[in-house]
Amino acid sequence: MSALPRLSTIFLAAITTLVAVLLYSPLFVPIVSSFFTISHGNVDWSSPTLSTYVTLAENHDILAALRTTLIVGVCTVILSVVSGTLLALYYHGRRSGRSILQFIIFLPFLMPPIISGLALLIFFREIGLERSLLTVVIGHTVFVLAIVYRTVLMRLQSMSRTLVEASYDLGATGWQTFWRIILPNLSSAMVGGAILAFALSFDETMITILVTGTQSTLPVRLWAMMRLGFSPDINALVALILMFTVLLCVLAARFLIPRQVATERT
Amino acid sequence: MSEAGSTQPAERRLSLLVTVLAFALPVIFVLVPLAIFLGYSFFSVDQGTIVYGLSLGNYVRFFTDPVFLPVFWNTIVLCVSVAIICILLAYPAAYFLTTLKGRWRYALLMLLLVPLLMSYVIKIYAIRSILGLNGFLNKALVALGILQEPSTLFVFNMNAILLTLTLLLIPFAILPIFLSLERIPQVLLRASDDLGASGLQTFLRITLPLSLPGVASAASFVFVLAIGDFLTPQMVGGISGFTFGRILYSQFGTAYNWPFGAALSVALAIVVIAAILVGERFGRNRGTSV
Repeated sequence: MSALPRLSTIFLAAITTLVAVLLYSPLFVPIVSSFFTISHGNVDWSSPTLSTYVTLAENHDILAALRTTLIVGVCTVILSVVSGTLLALYYHGRRSGRSILQFIIFLPFLMPPIISGLALLIFFREIGLERSLLTVVIGHTVFVLAIVYRTVLMRLQSMSRTLVEASYDLGATGWQTFWRIILPNLSSAMVGGAILAFALSFDETMITILVTGTQSTLPVRLWAMMRLGFSPDINALVALILMFTVLLCVLAARFLIPRQVATERT
Repeated sequence: MSEAGSTQPAERRLSLLVTVLAFALPVIFVLVPLAIFLGYSFFSVDQGTIVYGLSLGNYVRFFTDPVFLPVFWNTIVLCVSVAIICILLAYPAAYFLTTLKGRWRYALLMLLLVPLLMSYVIKIYAIRSILGLNGFLNKALVALGILQEPSTLFVFNMNAILLTLTLLLIPFAILPIFLSLERIPQVLLRASDDLGASGLQTFLRITLPLSLPGVASAASFVFVLAIGDFLTPQMVGGISGFTFGRILYSQFGTAYNWPFGAALSVALAIVVIAAILVGERFGRNRGTSV
């Protein structure tokens, strides 16, 4: 593509810059306001301050919501990684009934969250399960399961069959083969899937709003607060969350992109 | 693992358990709730309690009431517009990424995808403050002399929903387009160049047709995500920006008519399934392997 005329390169670069600006401007606003005071839409650049971070540490309401979110996230990760891996192991190399059940697993991820959320809401009501953190965890797990399942299944499919065959030839039992050969080979896919599951759970808002009880997770708490407007310490929280998610994203990329692909492309 | 010579009874029991789980989990937590939900759409509400008698009343109301069909249609038009704008912005950006070499390409792709991980609610709030009367957009337009005074055109109406959804969903358009562009074999482009085609001809005859599957997937992603969103319209739509998602959501809140809400969801699901199928049908990559 070296023959690309100069003018069109400039045009493309300009559009890309515009897209980046559009994407980052909503992130820029809260981060700037976490360090500077803003009044009437004007930023006071002269006096950077960390006071918002100090007030944040004293905002028990928000910190409780953050803790709830982390608890839900961890439970979701454990449940979805265990069941996603089991499902992937089960359906790998099995043809009968796989496509239809795979379709069912993917439904909550493909359907608008409002539909998945409402279906679960009615389901919980019908089976008499009070709305609580348990229902939120179930909702999140059902939502992220497809991602973990797919990540693990793809790794299984790219794994060479000869590894397993060699293990059996050398006299290992099914268990030994599973623990010593299959699981270690899947571990990075499982970690990657877990990180994705956590990231999705951490920010899941629409399903959570529908199935949550009295305890709310951070996005739901923020949603409720937004009607009244945010206090400045929320900006500090947002800045911290952004740093945290970028870190997660880098980690996920490290575990999910196989090394050779990364070098092959260069 | 069933073929793993499962001679031990413990292993066989485990394998049976896994089989049961593998079928039970998706069925109980996905299929059953959806089936009950579908069933609800045939019930009705009387004096605030749900009547468990089958009727088509909810669907008749959806098609005959002058309120719902126009909102439904307007929402579809809105979400198609969001998808088109997202693609118009994402395509050049994705194309630019593929002209970059090695590390830069993926670093920049990552940069454009990171905003996805940022809290959805916070982004909506920030965009609303940008679009508002005292917001950055108005300030910039006034400073550039495009507007005489700050305008309320960008917040609490359909425009606001359109702009906000576009900003939120662009990354979902970039990724599939980038992947389909990246899959185009370089030899095809070189061959076209060798045969004397200009850069524009190569783009129109080779690159664009081969990247259309990615565009189709992108459009279907963005459309589905946009039409299912009820938070954005609620937050930036004000009174005039009434979308289908909001009406649906209100059936489970203020309007308290779960069966009717379920029927509206069925209508939404049909549109979504259609969009996914279209995306799937045209999103297949054909003829890109050499």
